Amino acid sequence: MDDSSMEANDRIRAAANFLLQSPPGEINDVLNDIRNIISDDDLLQEGIQPALREYNIEQFTVVDVPDTNHQSIISEAAREGDSLESEERFLDPRSKISFLFDHLSLEASDPVPFEPDETHEPYRSALEAASLSYLKAHFTDGVTSVFSPKDGSSRYVIQIVANKYNPTNFWAGRWRSEYIVDLTSNRVSGKMLINIHYYEQGNVQLATSHTVSFDIPPAVVSASPNTAASKILALIEGEEGKYQISLSDTYQEMGEKTFKGLRRALPLTRQKLDWDKVMGYKLGAELSGSKPAFPNS
Amino acid sequence: MADVIDSMLDLMRRLPPTRTEENVQALVNICPDDADELLQSVDQPLQVMVDRATGREYLACDYNRDGESYRSPWSNEYDPPIDDGAVPSSKMRKIEIQANEAFDTYREMYYEGGVSSVFLWDPEDPSGGSNFAGVVVLKKTMTPTSVYEPAGSWDSIHVFETAERGRQAHYKLTSTVMLQLITRKGTEGEVKLPAEKKGLENSKRDGEVSLSGSMTRQSEQDWPLHDSSSHISNIGRMIEEMEIKMRNLLQEVYFGKTRDIVYDLRSVDDLEKARRQKELQKELVGSFTKRPPTESRKSG
Repeated sequence: MDDSSMEANDRIRAAANFLLQSPPGEINDVLNDIRNIISDDDLLQEGIQPALREYNIEQFTVVDVPDTNHQSIISEAAREGDSLESEERFLDPRSKISFLFDHLSLEASDPVPFEPDETHEPYRSALEAASLSYLKAHFTDGVTSVFSPKDGSSRYVIQIVANKYNPTNFWAGRWRSEYIVDLTSNRVSGKMLINIHYYEQGNVQLATSHTVSFDIPPAVVSASPNTAASKILALIEGEEGKYQISLSDTYQEMGEKTFKGLRRALPLTRQKLDWDKVMGYKLGAELSGSKPAFPNS
Repeated sequence: MADVIDSMLDLMRRLPPTRTEENVQALVNICPDDADELLQSVDQPLQVMVDRATGREYLACDYNRDGESYRSPWSNEYDPPIDDGAVPSSKMRKIEIQANEAFDTYREMYYEGGVSSVFLWDPEDPSGGSNFAGVVVLKKTMTPTSVYEPAGSWDSIHVFETAERGRQAHYKLTSTVMLQLITRKGTEGEVKLPAEKKGLENSKRDGEVSLSGSMTRQSEQDWPLHDSSSHISNIGRMIEEMEIKMRNLLQEVYFGKTRDIVYDLRSVDDLEKARRQKELQKELVGSFTKRPPTESRKSG
């Protein structure tokens, strides 16, 4: 029937929309809620796949790379260019392995070695090494993947993701950054995204987005891959550090100005209201009816 | 499996507070049968309406709704007008008018703007005597006049029940605060310091920080009754205390926690350096504690 199938589509669309709003590390909880609300597992199982895939790619979901002891990032940059949608493969340039990825179980399978692009590999692996040591210096649970240019461009992609899930204490957080290092325009453009959820007896969320772009200094452009890569990562380190500190200032500002602009902590008098007086004034005004405001004078 | 309504409430506790209205609407569309229970259990941002008779702003919520119409606390009229809309008894309406005036003063003192409304309802059970219930709602929105000015909104909903016990009354208060703060910053918005000159060439920065939250708390207290207006001042004190507490919790505990988690994800200081320093320290301490036995062996 046309009517019911329309309705099924709408329900799937709504479910997908919920899923894409999942806070870090809570996708399974959200999915369980949706399952119970939709109560049609067959419909859901089939219909929710595109949303799961979109979520994983957007959120830089990390995966254990088969036959290695490291993780890599699932993202648009990690997609193997010519793989079919039904058999979509993702690349881990670090181990030079491509794999199939299950968007529900978050597991990789069918690992196959691939040949990296020889012309780009030295620069890519230099960026990767620099990114790994940057990660070690500033992130406790971080994962990075660095990708070679695609489609004849000269745009390397550095991705970083750090997740911390602490459901016992009702919080979770995710930091994502992505930098495009373009060796044609000699420019780096990047973005940092932070999502925090704290839900102990409440639902409080921080969502930030920050974009940055800067020229690669000429001395860095002409340097060897290893030197250039560590300089570029040093610049990124500087930007991310500056951003994190500016975020603290933003918190301060929000607390002191914005929050106060909405609701003061105390009235201008620095005292709580005298409710008897508040009532007295009003009562007095009511008793005096339409008479002037100063009945006794 | 859990009740559908429980799953809906769990979902609402996880999804961004900034998108509550949209998500509640989607849930209502999926499960129309559970709509009433959901709408009663999930607080949504308040809507500002204008009283046609007085021109004064008031707030629309589930508590002053009858069908598609909302009752104004100022004129007691429904908008759009309906013939048989539910209104409080004349005795209750009198207290409602007083309460609206009192909370208007409260609003001005704490919000320096915004809109407030109080709605009361008569006891359902006539034998309940004068045990009435009601809701106090407050809203303030900050609308930026330029892109880099902060934006935000505060909505609070206080539902209360009263139970008279002789010269005393017992009050049950359930309060929800919904808050949103947004700050945008960009290269144009930044103060350019001369020291920044040695910074990056041709650099551009742009960003947005959105901090949002909703929380609900309950409180039960007994207060003395002196006269007919005692209920309003008693409820007023409880709501004032509760709003102070919740505002403080949001600013100090909840927002502070989200900031701390950012620092859990990424450290401003170089962790490697700190690790090396620690190891060096350990080595040093180790070499000190090891020295005496080595020396004694040497001398012996």
